[in-house]
Amino acid sequence: MKKVLFAIAFAFFALTGYQAFAQEPELNPERKQAIDSLALEKVRDLSKYVKLIGSKNTPWSEANRVIDRAEELFAPDAEIGVSSLSKTKVEYYKVRKYLERLMRLNYDRVEIDWYKIQYVSDLQRQPDGTYVGVITIFQTFKGYDAEGRLVYQDTTKKDITVYVKRKETQIGGKLIGFWDVLLGDMRVKETTHK
Amino acid sequence: MTKFLKIIVPVLLLALFYKANAQVVGNLGDVQVDEREFYTMTKQMGQFMHRFNYEEDPSGKRLYPGDKDYRNPVKRRESIPLLFDLENPRTNGTLRDFFIEDLTKNNQYIEFLGGEWFSEVSAKFIWKGKEVDVSMILAIEKEGLGSKWVLSNVFFSEFQKYFPQGELSEREKHFLHPQSHELDFMNIYKIFEDSQVIEYYASNEYTPDYLTLFFYEIKQGNLKFDHVESVKFHVLQIDNWYFEVSWFNRSGYNSGWLISNLIYLKAPEKETLLKIYQPRQ
Repeated sequence: MKKVLFAIAFAFFALTGYQAFAQEPELNPERKQAIDSLALEKVRDLSKYVKLIGSKNTPWSEANRVIDRAEELFAPDAEIGVSSLSKTKVEYYKVRKYLERLMRLNYDRVEIDWYKIQYVSDLQRQPDGTYVGVITIFQTFKGYDAEGRLVYQDTTKKDITVYVKRKETQIGGKLIGFWDVLLGDMRVKETTHK
Repeated sequence: MTKFLKIIVPVLLLALFYKANAQVVGNLGDVQVDEREFYTMTKQMGQFMHRFNYEEDPSGKRLYPGDKDYRNPVKRRESIPLLFDLENPRTNGTLRDFFIEDLTKNNQYIEFLGGEWFSEVSAKFIWKGKEVDVSMILAIEKEGLGSKWVLSNVFFSEFQKYFPQGELSEREKHFLHPQSHELDFMNIYKIFEDSQVIEYYASNEYTPDYLTLFFYEIKQGNLKFDHVESVKFHVLQIDNWYFEVSWFNRSGYNSGWLISNLIYLKAPEKETLLKIYQPRQ
């Protein structure tokens, strides 16, 4: 099944003009926008997964499967750095650990929502040529106790690193280029917004 | 009262504008509340640069070369005041107006790869068992196919203490006379008599290399990184001006990365300041 999806994805890239990227990896505004959309798609997936993992209605085994999917969005060594208004020192977590903590939060019910606002940075190249960008999004979190009382809430700014790399693959003997997008370190900072 | 109006009017105008355009940019989430605070927040330093250059319109749309309003000087003049910390009277007076006039009249912009801007990372370290403050200065350096942040200097009061400026009259007492070589430098022991002033025997051009000291102390295991406290930016790209950009985590329509300090500098003063941030250039 995975192989079929893989083939469909590449066929999509080829048909939608992505092969035009193969020869020239420099980014003009149109290409940048196309890559931004790919990156935002990953962030959208992540936000969907975070909601599922945090929800008390998601069975334990299902939440673990979702954690696997969420982990696949990130580069292997990605870390999450978390700070709050009361604790400014950044705590570092591996992606899996961070998501497992979210799954085990001790509230009777949680609400995780995302603001519509997002900001996508320029893509800068690092020395090896990989493009790096940062997507900023905002999340609200509310935790309720068994009596339905709101016992904790925060709004956090999440700055997510995005790595964009030009890759090539052969399909039917033809070399097809595509942009591979992977999430990297994520900085989570509490805002004063309630 | 005038000062109050000067601050409040642009903020209210901005808030009204964002209300009208609040749905233009985003589509990620599902929160049904007023999001204007987050639209107006300058969320990344890169966004600060785009807003500063008027490469982003007030609705958050990125403007590229060829777009009608790209770097529009009139709109730029109107929007730059909103990039200042409006609660700080030091950055909201006549000096700010001169700065904006200068920027827009001479078409001056800031560029990510344009050099002469630095990040200051204030961090806590452990030194000889106690917690100390160290500020690391980083600069963008081009390398390979792209660029990277590199350490360009470090400020740590304990290092500075080792190299006090000293009185000129005192400094002038310490030298090896110009015929010392004829005596096989038999007087060289004088250099080591008082270790506190050993640097007086170095060239007048000598300046201590704090970055090397920093590396040495880290390698010796005397200085251990603990955590980052805050980050700010120092921008010297604009002719005759220096400004500092800091993070303001607060409610309202004036938050995020904002100008927290502004100084008018003549070229020689700017050179001196640049040497502090990047001594090896």
